[in-house]
Amino acid sequence: MIVVIDYGMGNLASVQKVIKSLKKEVKITCDKKEIQKASLIVLPGVGSFEQGMKNLNDLGLVDLLYQEVIQNKKPFLGICLGMQLIMEKGSEPNECNGLGWIKGRVVPIVNSRLPVPHLGWNNTYKHKEENQGDTLLNNFYFIHSFHVLPEEAVECTYVDYEFRMVASIEKENIFATQFHPEKSQNAGLLLLKNYIESYA
Amino acid sequence: MLKVRLIPVMTFNGVSLVKTKQFTNARTVGNPIQVARVYNSRNVDELVFVDIKATEQGRKINLPLVKKVIDECFMPVTIGGGIRTFEDINDLLGIGADKVLIKSKALQNPEFIVKAVEYFGSQCISIAVDVIVKDREYLTHQKNDEKVLMKTFIEKMHQCNVGEFVVNSVVCDGMMNGFDKILYQNVSQITTKPIVAVGGAGVPSHFTELVQTNYNGALAASSIYHFTQYTPQEVKKTLNKAQIPVRI
Repeated sequence: MIVVIDYGMGNLASVQKVIKSLKKEVKITCDKKEIQKASLIVLPGVGSFEQGMKNLNDLGLVDLLYQEVIQNKKPFLGICLGMQLIMEKGSEPNECNGLGWIKGRVVPIVNSRLPVPHLGWNNTYKHKEENQGDTLLNNFYFIHSFHVLPEEAVECTYVDYEFRMVASIEKENIFATQFHPEKSQNAGLLLLKNYIESYA
Repeated sequence: MLKVRLIPVMTFNGVSLVKTKQFTNARTVGNPIQVARVYNSRNVDELVFVDIKATEQGRKINLPLVKKVIDECFMPVTIGGGIRTFEDINDLLGIGADKVLIKSKALQNPEFIVKAVEYFGSQCISIAVDVIVKDREYLTHQKNDEKVLMKTFIEKMHQCNVGEFVVNSVVCDGMMNGFDKILYQNVSQITTKPIVAVGGAGVPSHFTELVQTNYNGALAASSIYHFTQYTPQEVKKTLNKAQIPVRI
């Protein structure tokens, strides 16, 4: 069973809808026993980093998630705020600690020319070897004012918005996206289908 | 590269989908769930659904129906109509809306918007700005005769840190003669927040013409999709030919 963590941070119904459309069993919950039983943990979310961490702390989920994802290596999918929270430090609105599973910080998008938030459909890309250019990937739906800066070697895809930002991170059993695959039409559905079917 | 968003707008009167001309003469155009399903299959970038009679008739939006519309959509959905309380916003976000579109309450009580942005986050609070032209000035469209400059209203909402403005020209609504290009130049100078232009599109070249004025917001429309053979995909092809970045 797939568990979508309910910690009071935004649109969980869309994630649930997509998983259901893939004919997989899904539960929205913050119950520790259910999370322990899950085959895959999904952490979605929109809103501020500080509030997100506060809610996870208040629900007593920080240690439990560490145990399940880092110690037991359970597959984990983070979306948007759920991706940012796995970093060490956030700054929205104040500096605070994140889950710290990946070294690095979450910082505001500072852009001279283009509006913030980075809102809309943008294509992601992967770096090939040195001097071989980029591999263009699909268009996904983004809406965010902060972005992550990993400080360790993790597999990333990127997105350009006057400068290069991280669009997704992969490290062992952790996969996380800054964009919203559940809102990204066929491209997002396919990505989730491939990911979920390989785990759950 | 960030793409220009193409957004169909669905206006609902409590019973069926309707399309107005200059905010009157509502003509029935179909069943909202079927229409949402078609737009989803046409791979549109976002969808806006508004109950245009909810505030006027003093009722709440029909949540079970809106949920069915949202359930058809695998792209971001904005829902508006009769939003007066935090509970209304919560109900809509709870059934899967990504943004809520607020007009009357924002005009009456900006403080409500400040609190809504703090509580729900700016990304999900969109403001509808319905614009009329009077004595060569852009004003907000009001049920009473109170005169509110569009500029004043947008500035105030910008300060409230709302997520987006959906700017609808009442004069152009349903006329299919093209967007009011001057209007969006004006709005772009007042706010740096994302803008959605709606009102006037009748053929694909109308969208291109608006973008070519250096407008960098989203392109919304309704009549063209209801009353002509043009689909959102055909509009995107036209934009693409004019070197405007779209998601195809």
